Amino acid sequence: MEWKRKDLLSLYDLTAEEIVFLLDTAEEFKKVSERKVKKVPALRGKTVVNFFVEPSTRTRVSFELAEQRLSADIVNMQAAVSSLRKGETLLDTVRNIEALQVDLVVMRHSAPGAQAFIAKHLSCGVVNAGDGAHSHPTQALLDIFTIREKKGCVKGLNVAIVGDILHSRVARSNIWGLLKLGANVTLAGPATLVPREFEEIGVRVCHNLREAIADADVVNLLRIQHERQAAGFFPSTGEYAKFFGINRETLKWMKPDALIMHPGPINRDVELTSEVADGPNSVILEQVTNGLAVRMAVLFLVAGCVKK
Amino acid sequence: MKEYIFKNARVIDPLRNIDTRGDIGVADGRIAEPAALKNPQIIDLDGKTLTPGFIDLHVHLRQPGNNMAETIASGTAAAAAGGFTSVVAMPNTNPPADTAGAIEFLRQTAAQKGVVHVLPCGCMTKGYAGEEMAGIGSLKAAGVVALSDDGRCIQDHALMRHVVEYAKSFGLPILDHCEDKALAAGGVMHEGKWSVLLGMNGISGAAEELMVARNIILARNIGWKIHMQHVSVKESVELLRNARAKGIPVTGEATPHHLTLTDECIKKYDTNYKMNPPLRSEEDRLALIAGVADGTITAIATDHAPHTSTAKLVEFDDAPFGIIGLETALPLTYTELVAKGVVTLPELVAKFTAGPAEILGFENYSLAPGRVADLTIFDPDAHYVIDKKKFKSNSRNTPFDGWNVQCRVVMTVVGGRIVYDAR
Amino acid sequence: MTLKKLLYSPTEMEDAVDRMAGAIQAEFPDGNLALVGLYMQGVPLSERLAEALEKRTGRRPDLARLDISLYRDDFGKRSALPLIRETVIPFDISEANIILVDDVLSSGRTIRAALDAVTDYGRPRLIRLAVLADRGCPEYPIRADYVGFSLFSIPENHKVVVHFNEDPEETGVFEMEWKR
Repeated sequence: MEWKRKDLLSLYDLTAEEIVFLLDTAEEFKKVSERKVKKVPALRGKTVVNFFVEPSTRTRVSFELAEQRLSADIVNMQAAVSSLRKGETLLDTVRNIEALQVDLVVMRHSAPGAQAFIAKHLSCGVVNAGDGAHSHPTQALLDIFTIREKKGCVKGLNVAIVGDILHSRVARSNIWGLLKLGANVTLAGPATLVPREFEEIGVRVCHNLREAIADADVVNLLRIQHERQAAGFFPSTGEYAKFFGINRETLKWMKPDALIMHPGPINRDVELTSEVADGPNSVILEQVTNGLAVRMAVLFLVAGCVKK
Repeated sequence: MKEYIFKNARVIDPLRNIDTRGDIGVADGRIAEPAALKNPQIIDLDGKTLTPGFIDLHVHLRQPGNNMAETIASGTAAAAAGGFTSVVAMPNTNPPADTAGAIEFLRQTAAQKGVVHVLPCGCMTKGYAGEEMAGIGSLKAAGVVALSDDGRCIQDHALMRHVVEYAKSFGLPILDHCEDKALAAGGVMHEGKWSVLLGMNGISGAAEELMVARNIILARNIGWKIHMQHVSVKESVELLRNARAKGIPVTGEATPHHLTLTDECIKKYDTNYKMNPPLRSEEDRLALIAGVADGTITAIATDHAPHTSTAKLVEFDDAPFGIIGLETALPLTYTELVAKGVVTLPELVAKFTAGPAEILGFENYSLAPGRVADLTIFDPDAHYVIDKKKFKSNSRNTPFDGWNVQCRVVMTVVGGRIVYDAR
Repeated sequence: MTLKKLLYSPTEMEDAVDRMAGAIQAEFPDGNLALVGLYMQGVPLSERLAEALEKRTGRRPDLARLDISLYRDDFGKRSALPLIRETVIPFDISEANIILVDDVLSSGRTIRAALDAVTDYGRPRLIRLAVLADRGCPEYPIRADYVGFSLFSIPENHKVVVHFNEDPEETGVFEMEWKR
């Protein structure tokens, strides 16, 4: 298998073979972070711009560390300090970035498709670090990496994704990645947050938590944002926790060896109680560790296809 | 004025139910018996089709306010190239056409720069803000042919009721953009499978359906004409069909793009597929075609909405709604509807002529001698590739560039003058 | 490929490996050393070298496998990205006597990368280089300490390829020439 993409935009675009290749590559990069010298010169002399047009701490830090461990030179741009606020178009801004002989742009943006839009116009590589509710491919890759590492394979596993699916790029990316690798996906949460239309692509939609998680090998819990309550999607986080949260009791509905995952940041006592978050089924912190390895693999492969 | 005889035409005149081989004479800007002409120029059409001039009920000329995107001059030139001899100019310009003065500007500019007839449409509410009724009587006196808050929809049903009642007393039809604001809030595309997969905010079909239903109720209760602009969902077609069967004075238009494209097109994030109402599902598209075929929808209108390439070359969320349509309407609808056998050519011609004329209350819109010589001449057998670089419009925001189509406009005659000639 | 010429047979390879083991034994009589094989063909060579050393000294040296893809200096210039293989160093590099093992020494760039890679794992006491075939045309100031075959007269545009294979037919040191 040969990697040929200069951009990573969404898992929808990738074949199962490409996803597996990324995961295999990430396994070797995971070892780099376990060494005394946690750094390789693979991207020495390459410049990466982390362009975040939407606030982010976790993803940005993970990308930055990944870039540093690959020896790339890094520039961070935030929407607040970027020229976007001065009325320049996104395309002009990124063309200006590219004119500085940048090799890769890692971008987060609130508009779905923003990265696909700029990638069409740039010769440097573009890595999607989240575009609105559409896609967050590196998060899904690290989730799937963690599942594969813990369960040995992905094919045939039952994965339940619980929470605000409607607004979640994490869910959308996971769905495509998991389906391509042969997992069975169930989406669960109140009907206001879990659109039925997902059934059209072969995903089970379920509005009852017990039903959703009973046969699950993996339960991935998505962050519930308080502003969705104000927008009328559910009455209160308390009620959400009562019917869709994972706690000591609802944990018993699951298989004993089921994994509890969460892309973070977690709302303790909303999506899950502390007992569950810090308990033996939880792999939440391992997801963070794996995120670094996955992002190193993505940056390494994508940078290798940027022709200058 | 020059006299013409258009010889050897396939003459289609839907209002008079004519579809025959023949000649049409033009003298003093009006249709005349060929035999009565003294010194005519003979134009042999060699079997090409000649019809009454096409009317587009739904055009944004952008002047005043956004001359970069379109002007009255460029927009009417595009209309002529598309075979349209009259366009209804939507009032959501900047400033909006909500006063007699604004209508006067439009009429004067159209008289100086316009290539085809510009039929002014006035706002229903001041600033099309949906709060206070505009000076509808003064607008009528200034020459508007209809009223519309297009781009927005009056949400206050009581206000809408009063506007319709008041418009009735001045004989002005209502052209309504049917959209429930709360249900459509924040939406950038049709709410359905593709909005869910793409993570975009959806505009539900219910947002349109609700307001179509509201308008049917008001039209029934008040007994006055309400026309539904750019009908896009299956349920709206069904509501219209039932209402019309009961004799309620409601009509509807369909755009060429809603008849040819669906929401799936958006998966590449090309902002030339972003319009409002949005491209709907395939099921909706087929229902719309059925509505056109069975006469529920009596007009095809373009919703010609020019935007500069700068305005469209942005993130999908941030792009303005709308595409241009004047120069592609006939070939697209011919290729989709006539070439595929869904409607006959005379039926399609009616959607561009007798249909819209009736909605505007124009009497006897036909090729009868003595009528104003507005003529559209086209060649249904011509196959070609749409090339946006050749458009007369100031804007190029079309998703149809490169499409293979059939039926080319050959000539457009406005008031007896040839304003477009592609021979 | 228009030419594939066998330069040395499997038996000759075995002899060469034994000669190299002898030279290593002379320098490290106590057998306190570690062999680090470089992917791809350096790995099977290091295993054979370890066996030969064990026969001579009775002590099997530590063995490691090293992938140097992340340390290459031609990143982005190659048409295809290398597959990254598993690096396994099951001992502490610090203060170890390291012998890098590769099949062919040509430009010296692989060894340059390997030196960087190894030192990222620790600070060895010393590093030596063992190669089965030395082409004698290094682009960097790098020389081998233990050499099986000196192949200084092979034209530069020809390739020297070492195969270790189950099938003895496929095993050997070959000279190859590609023509478009």
